[in-house]
Formats: sequence, structure tokens, C-alpha cells
Amino acid sequence: MEGTELICFQIIASVGTARSMYIEAIHEAKEGRFEEARRMIENGEKVFLDGHHAHLELLKNDVLGNKPEISILIVHAEDQLMSAEGFNILATEFVDLYEKILK
Amino acid sequence: MKNIVLICAAGMSTSLLVSKMLKYAKEKGYECEIAAYAAVDSARAIPTADIVLLGPQVKYSLAKFRTTYPTKKIELIDMMMYGMMDGKGVLDFAIKVLG
Repeated sequence: MEGTELICFQIIASVGTARSMYIEAIHEAKEGRFEEARRMIENGEKVFLDGHHAHLELLKNDVLGNKPEISILIVHAEDQLMSAEGFNILATEFVDLYEKILK
Repeated sequence: MKNIVLICAAGMSTSLLVSKMLKYAKEKGYECEIAAYAAVDSARAIPTADIVLLGPQVKYSLAKFRTTYPTKKIELIDMMMYGMMDGKGVLDFAIKVLG
């Protein structure tokens, strides 16, 4: 597989997993399992970091003049990354909120 | 012929994995249908599937899918395999689960 394409898939796989974990954290909190919920967010952040590093590769290539061809796949990877970031903030807030309501 | 259904958030990145899996299936001589669907469109694909594979983006809906389709084989695609677009690894996994 070509370089940029591979980086995109690494981003999508990592941040996609992270995003999924953030949503699972909300599900845990909804059931009153707050420790599990917070652990889920922490683990999600660790996986997200892998995607962030892959994304840095793209940025590095761009800055070094090795401009990646803009494809739908790159846009999708960026989109997934931003979505995961947003879900991290929301999941953290939701866990706190459920804790207030249920405890 | 086995019907393998892949599901991810938009059905887009998974489509590329499908093409890699189909290429490997052809080399291996394994007869199957493989297609990718978005999670929102999954209801039309799952009833006829022999196995459903979920992408890492929709891992959180595994329990929901298993509850909705209790008799279906529903599994997760390994994140590393997904990130490397390892069509061979994913197809071998599906064949193993199908038995």
C-alpha cells in the first residue's frame, strides 16, 4: 500500500477505536460504573495518541514539501480524528454528569 | 457461498479492506461474497450475512448488534489488521470463525 494511504488507515483505525471507547465510556457511566468509564476514556486517549502520531507524519511530510495528494481518504481520516477529539470532551462531560445524577 | 458483511462508520474505509479481502479470496480460491456497509445501513445487509465484521470505529455497537441478531456470528476486526489494511488476516479470521 502507498505511504499516505497507509498513514490514513493507521489514523482511521486508531482514532476510530478511541472514539468507540469514548462512547463505551458513556454507556458505562449510564450504568453507574464510573471507574470503568474513566478507565475507558484513559485507554481511548492512549489509542488516540497513536493516531495523532500517524497524523504528525502527514503534517511532517507536508511541511517538508512532500505534499500528500488530497484524497477523500485523507479527508475522512481528518474527519474521524476531529470527531474522536470531540467525543473525548463530550464523554468526559457525560461521565461527570451521570455521576452527579446517579450518585 | 459464504456472505461476509463488513460494517464501519461510513462504509468508506472498509470498502478498501473489502477489495483487499476479495483479492486474497481469489488467490486462495475461496468462494465468498464480501461487501462493506455503513452502520446506519446495516439492517439491510445483516439478515443475509453468514458473518458480520465490525470496524474499530463501531466497536461500541457490538453488544447492540449481538442483542438484535442473537443467532448471527458478529465479530470485531482487529485494530492492527484494520490499520494495516490486512485483507489476508481479516479473511483468514472470518474463515476461522465460520468454521
